[in-house]
Amino acid sequence: MLSKKTKSGLIALAVVAAIGQGTLQRTVIFPKWSKDFSIGKFESGGISPDQLLFAMAGFREMIAGILWVRADAFFDQGNYDAILPIIRLVTALDPGEIDVYATGMWHIGYNFTDEEQRSDRRYIPSAIALGKDGYRKNPDTYELYFETGWLWYHKIDDYYDNAVRLFTEAQTKPDIQPARRNLLAMALQRNGEPEKALDKYLELYERAKKNYEADSSFGNRQNMETIEGNVDTTFVRLVQRGWVAKEQGRSTDGYDNSPPHDVGFSAKVTVPEANILRIEGSWNVKPVGTRVRVVLRDENMEHATTGGFDWDYSKDVYLDPPKLATMMQDQLFVKNRRFNRKVDMSKDPTMYPFIQDNYVIEFYYNPRSAPPHIQDKFSWDGSGMTDKNYLNTEIRPGQRVVFASLKISRDMIRRMGEWRDKVPVCKTPNYLESNRVTGLNGEDVVLDIPSLRSSIGSK
Amino acid sequence: MRPIIAIASTTIGEAIRRKVLLIILLIGVLFMVIAPGLGILSARSETTVLKGMMLGIIQLTSALIAIVLTVYMIPNEIERRTIYTILSKPVQRWQFLIGKYLGAVGALGLMMGIMTAILLVVFFLQQASKDFSALAELAKGPAMYFVQMSLLAAVAVFFSTFVAPLVNFFLSGGMYLLGSLFNPFFQTLNDNAKTPMIAKIPAFIINTVLPNFANYNIQNPLINPTQTVRNESIYYVNITAYGIMYIAILMVLGILIFDKREV
Repeated sequence: MLSKKTKSGLIALAVVAAIGQGTLQRTVIFPKWSKDFSIGKFESGGISPDQLLFAMAGFREMIAGILWVRADAFFDQGNYDAILPIIRLVTALDPGEIDVYATGMWHIGYNFTDEEQRSDRRYIPSAIALGKDGYRKNPDTYELYFETGWLWYHKIDDYYDNAVRLFTEAQTKPDIQPARRNLLAMALQRNGEPEKALDKYLELYERAKKNYEADSSFGNRQNMETIEGNVDTTFVRLVQRGWVAKEQGRSTDGYDNSPPHDVGFSAKVTVPEANILRIEGSWNVKPVGTRVRVVLRDENMEHATTGGFDWDYSKDVYLDPPKLATMMQDQLFVKNRRFNRKVDMSKDPTMYPFIQDNYVIEFYYNPRSAPPHIQDKFSWDGSGMTDKNYLNTEIRPGQRVVFASLKISRDMIRRMGEWRDKVPVCKTPNYLESNRVTGLNGEDVVLDIPSLRSSIGSK
Repeated sequence: MRPIIAIASTTIGEAIRRKVLLIILLIGVLFMVIAPGLGILSARSETTVLKGMMLGIIQLTSALIAIVLTVYMIPNEIERRTIYTILSKPVQRWQFLIGKYLGAVGALGLMMGIMTAILLVVFFLQQASKDFSALAELAKGPAMYFVQMSLLAAVAVFFSTFVAPLVNFFLSGGMYLLGSLFNPFFQTLNDNAKTPMIAKIPAFIINTVLPNFANYNIQNPLINPTQTVRNESIYYVNITAYGIMYIAILMVLGILIFDKREV
């Protein structure tokens, strides 16, 4: 039997050890473990207890691998809905699976479409949230910064500051591929910062030149020459679009973006059949390449703003989009200064449920998204573009965009009530049925897009 | 000290002769040998899956061995009455308990050593570059699992001083599961600003008091080499110190209970 003194000594030892382990756990071990060794938030949704036990016992990567193989089979079958929970489960079990994050984002952002291949925009916040989760858990590689940036740049095709921010972060990672560095310069131009884009191209050119000097392979030469071409083109554009003159405080008169051209936007929306819209209108730019964005959405849609949407609202990856909300986005392709498009939403009731009573149809055109030959007139900042009715400088502060909005009710869209036998029509007040498009003074104007370098030396 | 060493070495010998432990070890080894062939199951790099899977096998097998080895240790001695022959000699009860525990840890170390050797050989053969520093890096996993399993063995030895083996099996297993899951659970509670204080306070207490086996699950940076961890060695020293302190608490409590127990 232990003596009283020994027992007291042992109890004292146990108390000291208890305090020591508790302090160590709280102040040192747990914070470090959370930062460097945790697999991220504990997400057990959709995983059975035995799988969870198995996963927690150290087989996470293997289970994630098996699930991803299963997801591949669902891809082949076109069973896209089944893939979503698997993607979330795989990324929760093995956050190092960069390919699953990247494929998952692409899948969520692009693959849920209606019969006419229009993406279900309600899923995009989830794709962005998945990307954010991915790059936070894999901060040492460029890939998920780049992929998330690409989603902003290409899919959302708006709010380019996000693409610039993410592409810039991707550039700081040592594993970024040379060709992918160039995209930051493109994003900077779309973000209305062409002078920064030029700086970026010059920096990339120096890098490419060094690479070519060290290794004169065809790939390195091609990369160097491509960037050289980009530097050259950007220089010329900065001059011809009056950017240099503006920066130097000189008049921009006589440059390609001056005087601004009136695009003469007008639109009419009819509903020939239930859930089918016919959208027609004018856009006074003859060269092909213009696409006017049209959005039909609930009037009081959560996270929607006038002419825009808060795509980054979701803090978590929700696998179910807001199923009761309706949001359709399409592009109106301009040909011979008119657009005329049928938007059929009748075959996809889950994507377009039309639950609310009232809707808005928004038309939006931002020269930042325009192809270069159109931008040669409009410039990056829209200084070469105007519209006597719909030029807007408020919905995107500091930018010149064309924006118009029409209201439409559910009864009109669904051809119910008084609209059962009457074709609903909504149009802008300036809409004319003829094909003639007039300029500011009523004259027939056809935009003559300037040819790049056509007038070098005359400015 | 001599009685403790004698009891410990006898315990190691007994453990090696126990067929059930050898079968568990054999199954673990078999899984490890076939593991490279299962890499095709994953869309990810085979090496990543191989590392994750083999570390998982070592951990699961070791946990099973640690529990099965220790839950029967004290009750068997009492049931077979062999404890009388030991305690009739100049051996204190605390020496007996410590000797038994150290013997269990020794046997565990031996079996985990075999599995680690297989892990390193398989990984070495799988590697194209034959990089020895990568092997040393990989060995950190089993080293920390050894501390984890020593802690688990201490939990089981502590319970074996006053509960029946079957109850002890579930108690220790449950404790291991809870200790492995509670860190991430606590982290989620902490990160969620909406968690009420009434839930946070008990979680805080449990996370402080419970043996946190998850601390030793360090496989993430081993499996994903792109993940960089600063002051890694200091963390390993800290969790080893944590384990030693926790083992000391359990041993002291075990000694105090066993000292009073009728045998």
